[in-house]
Amino acid sequence: MTELNQIDLRTLLTGNKRAWDSFVTAAAPLINAVVRRTLSSYRLSEEDVMDAAQDVFVRLCANDYRLLKTYDPARAGLSTWLAVVSRSAAVDHARRRRQANVPLDDVPEASLAVEDRHVEKLKIPQGLLTERQMLILKCLYDEEKDVSEVAQLLKIDAQTVRSTHHKALLRLRIHFQKEPQ
Amino acid sequence: MSTERPTQSDRELWRSLAVDRVAPGQVSDLDFAAWLEGRLSETAAARIEAAVAADPEMRRAALELAEVLGQPLPAAPARLEVRARALVGFEVERRSGRVGFFDWLFAKDQRFAMQRLATLTAAVIIAISGFMLGGGLGESMAQERYASVSQTDTSNELTEFLVSDGI
Repeated sequence: MTELNQIDLRTLLTGNKRAWDSFVTAAAPLINAVVRRTLSSYRLSEEDVMDAAQDVFVRLCANDYRLLKTYDPARAGLSTWLAVVSRSAAVDHARRRRQANVPLDDVPEASLAVEDRHVEKLKIPQGLLTERQMLILKCLYDEEKDVSEVAQLLKIDAQTVRSTHHKALLRLRIHFQKEPQ
Repeated sequence: MSTERPTQSDRELWRSLAVDRVAPGQVSDLDFAAWLEGRLSETAAARIEAAVAADPEMRRAALELAEVLGQPLPAAPARLEVRARALVGFEVERRSGRVGFFDWLFAKDQRFAMQRLATLTAAVIIAISGFMLGGGLGESMAQERYASVSQTDTSNELTEFLVSDGI
């Protein structure tokens, strides 16, 4: 079976049917997996999942492969780029379907919730934490991911996530202890 | 996979904080993919990380994609492949490379060389046979000369006739 990294993009972009077929064979498992994972929280039917995956392929070859031509192998791997593109297409598809179909009662309460603005919160000053520290805290607390998942995302080891987390909290505690409240 | 989570006191500290929402800058699909692969420089990565930290949708995208890309992929349904293949047909290929008969006959590439040679040979044989059946170049010239001579004779005879009648 052809791997994605073996696809001859130049031939594919000329409209070569065989190159397209090879590309479909190589890319279908990835596109299928990304679309399924993305739509898992939307409670859509199998038919919708198939349509969303088909949408990705349509986007890739539409207008003389305009989207596929934006891919630059020097900047990112084809599979990672395809995964990003597939997710965007799946989210767009789900939003269109939701707008068309879902009654208000079916929308999860969490998405309709309004934040309680009366609770006074302390503001984290700009520059107190690095972007990475902030991202790690957001993933751990807001997304409720565990250390290994954050490590996998950032391509670092779990110990680095732990120490970055620890340093970030230490900075916050020191800063807000000093600051008169 | 371990399920290591922050402690309750860390969680309470975080809840008491309001993180300013920084308007995330535009992150292209390629930049996002490069960041997911860990290919970016520290400065470039910091820009993406700021955007990902600020935007919950991007954060979810990053976490989901990292999860999918880190796992073995199950096979896609055959129906998906069949439908996707049908998006590009042979006519697209033909349209891009459409050529006329003479372009095909005298093409420089090596494809269908035998067929082209056979067609060319057949065309030459048919042309020669037709020419021969028509009597060849010499006979057609002779016919042409005879026609012009006999036309001139007729014309002279007519003139003589008219002269003899005094017209």
